[in-house]
Amino acid sequence: MTMGVQEIEDAGLILNFGYNGADSHPIVQRRIIRARQKGAKIICVDPRVIESARIADIHLQLKGGTNLALVNALCNVIYTEGLMDEKFIREKTTDFDEFVEVIKKYTPEDVSPICRISPEDIRKAARLYATTKPAMILYGMGVCQFGQAVDVVKTLADMALMTGNFGKPATGIGPVRGQNNVQGACDMGALPNNYPGYQSITDDAVREKFEKAWGVPLSNKVGLPLTHVPRRVLRPEDPSKQIHAYYIFGEDPAQTDPDINEVREALEKCDLVILQDIFMNRAGQYADVVLPSTSWGEHEGVYSCCDRGFQRFHKMIEPPEGVKVDWQIISEISTAMGYPMHYNNTQEIWDEMRRLCPSFAGATYEKLEATGGVQWPCRSEDMSDKGTVYLHKGKFSNPDGKGRFYATDWRPPQELTDTEYPLILNTGREVGHYSARTMTGNCRLLRSLEDEPGWVQINPEDCLEYGLEHGDLVRLESRRGWCLSRVSCTDRTSPGAVFMTYQWWIGACNMLTNPNLDPVSNTPEYKYCSVRIECIEDQAWAENYVVTEYRRLRESMGIDVSGEEAAVQ
Amino acid sequence: MTKQVESICPYCGAGCHIMFSVDEAANKIVDAVPAKGRTNDGTLCLKGHYGWDFLNDPQILTKRLRHPMIRKGGKESPLEEVGWDEAIHFVAGRLTEIKNTYGPDAIMGTASARGPGNEAAYVMQKFMRACVGTNNIDHCARI
Repeated sequence: MTMGVQEIEDAGLILNFGYNGADSHPIVQRRIIRARQKGAKIICVDPRVIESARIADIHLQLKGGTNLALVNALCNVIYTEGLMDEKFIREKTTDFDEFVEVIKKYTPEDVSPICRISPEDIRKAARLYATTKPAMILYGMGVCQFGQAVDVVKTLADMALMTGNFGKPATGIGPVRGQNNVQGACDMGALPNNYPGYQSITDDAVREKFEKAWGVPLSNKVGLPLTHVPRRVLRPEDPSKQIHAYYIFGEDPAQTDPDINEVREALEKCDLVILQDIFMNRAGQYADVVLPSTSWGEHEGVYSCCDRGFQRFHKMIEPPEGVKVDWQIISEISTAMGYPMHYNNTQEIWDEMRRLCPSFAGATYEKLEATGGVQWPCRSEDMSDKGTVYLHKGKFSNPDGKGRFYATDWRPPQELTDTEYPLILNTGREVGHYSARTMTGNCRLLRSLEDEPGWVQINPEDCLEYGLEHGDLVRLESRRGWCLSRVSCTDRTSPGAVFMTYQWWIGACNMLTNPNLDPVSNTPEYKYCSVRIECIEDQAWAENYVVTEYRRLRESMGIDVSGEEAAVQ
Repeated sequence: MTKQVESICPYCGAGCHIMFSVDEAANKIVDAVPAKGRTNDGTLCLKGHYGWDFLNDPQILTKRLRHPMIRKGGKESPLEEVGWDEAIHFVAGRLTEIKNTYGPDAIMGTASARGPGNEAAYVMQKFMRACVGTNNIDHCARI
């Protein structure tokens, strides 16, 4: 995020685009509500009636998969009606003319039938965004999880650039990161193209610095993105580039990756699968080796929250006997492979990292403890460097210091609906559960709020057409797989579009999702594929199936189910 | 004895500060209340309030892993508990074999976007780059 979370409530306007904070980050959503209470305008862009839509001045309930058409049209209106910040464009940006060439084709009238939003509403939203200051854009997976995602991010940045909404308090654009340390994993260089601190592996000077620090020559070849793994195991274009070993650390691709039939097939076929985690999970059932590690609560370190905030987390209890700290396990494997790694504690690791990363160099443990945390960049160890609340103050990070406009044409999602698979499937998070559910599904209270098989939201018109009642179990099918889910009859979703959460084993929406990837970010198109619904005549059979299948899966994870009541026959 | 420890919530990117009460003799968390962090300002959601129970290993959904395990007889065989030395040497040996046969780019590694933290992520990417010799390192940022 270019801004800090605390700034959200000071925005004059929030463009809440493809971001459902109420379910994904309730405490960030609280700031959006606070902003509303303090008088901010809210424009919500989402194909569903999410909580932000209910408090919005304008809700653009667009058809899924049409983000870029809409953003181009919003830019078109701002341009044609002369609502830009011309001084900012002139002094702080480049490539505006090329940008205009593209967006001038996207008139509200042309875009209206694509997005299913009236030209008046597009104009109203563009005018409100451009004329209310300071304006902030918050976006989430509703932007990123499409085959065309990075283009939308860049064009949202264009909207902020053309209206001068950068480099000042409560402006900018904010991708609100999903998991607790997804920002941190990026910060630390767990990316195929960057060393820690966003330093490119193809930059010779940077690589030499890391070679010197680590004492070995390093590869300058960009690595493989995670989402390419199944195909590189099963169907490598070049057999010499096949993946033969997969070291999975702290995630469950057999539950959370798209098209999990394909993922599971890849895990079966891969010569060596290593799982390092705290709980047994679906991927563990395919692992050749399982390495048990300490959990949050049993070790310490630093997390990076969504707005670049480094914060110290602490050990609270002793771990179970027999498990080891993650970095210690990895160091021991490395040492056994002939590259000795030895650290006595997390601070030694952190200090080594800081010495190699200028943007993080000032974030000492001492400073993080004393201040509660700092937002990077934080370059000086001096206590007076308290980090950076918002980015791009005075200049942008491009070599010329200017913000660059970028524009391109909209393209539709890969798998469109047809007569065989007539419904759009959109997927997202469950408010009370988290990712692969191994943590929250093992919390008694959270588990009691929601459990298998999860819900599929279907519009009342579609329920009527299919003869479905709220609470019925249905079978959902796509070209890749099937699963069962429970019908939630709700007008939160539009006719022709259904929505599921991805936390469930039996209601596993990733049996259905399409592994089409954005060409730049390699993020899968979780938010759009085509499915069909098969009604189940014998509901008693289906209820029984859910109970017995759930019990079978839990038993396969090592749970003693012998004392549980048998399913209703 | 109950001690108070302030830490950061393990769920979602909001980065909320929580004050935990820990019963040291029982080695258990007994209570969590919101602390005044920069982002959460003294508030928590339901996961922040109640999401630490998994540390008690109540064995509802899955079981806590407590021993290294290996499938000694290949893919179809069951996972068998082994000691740490055996597990580390098995992993190191198999990775070295695969690296020698197919090259370092035949190995893929992930870091975690969740509980392990930045230091563990740093060590993992360093391991993949400096020891294995590949940039095949990623995590579930896209997921």
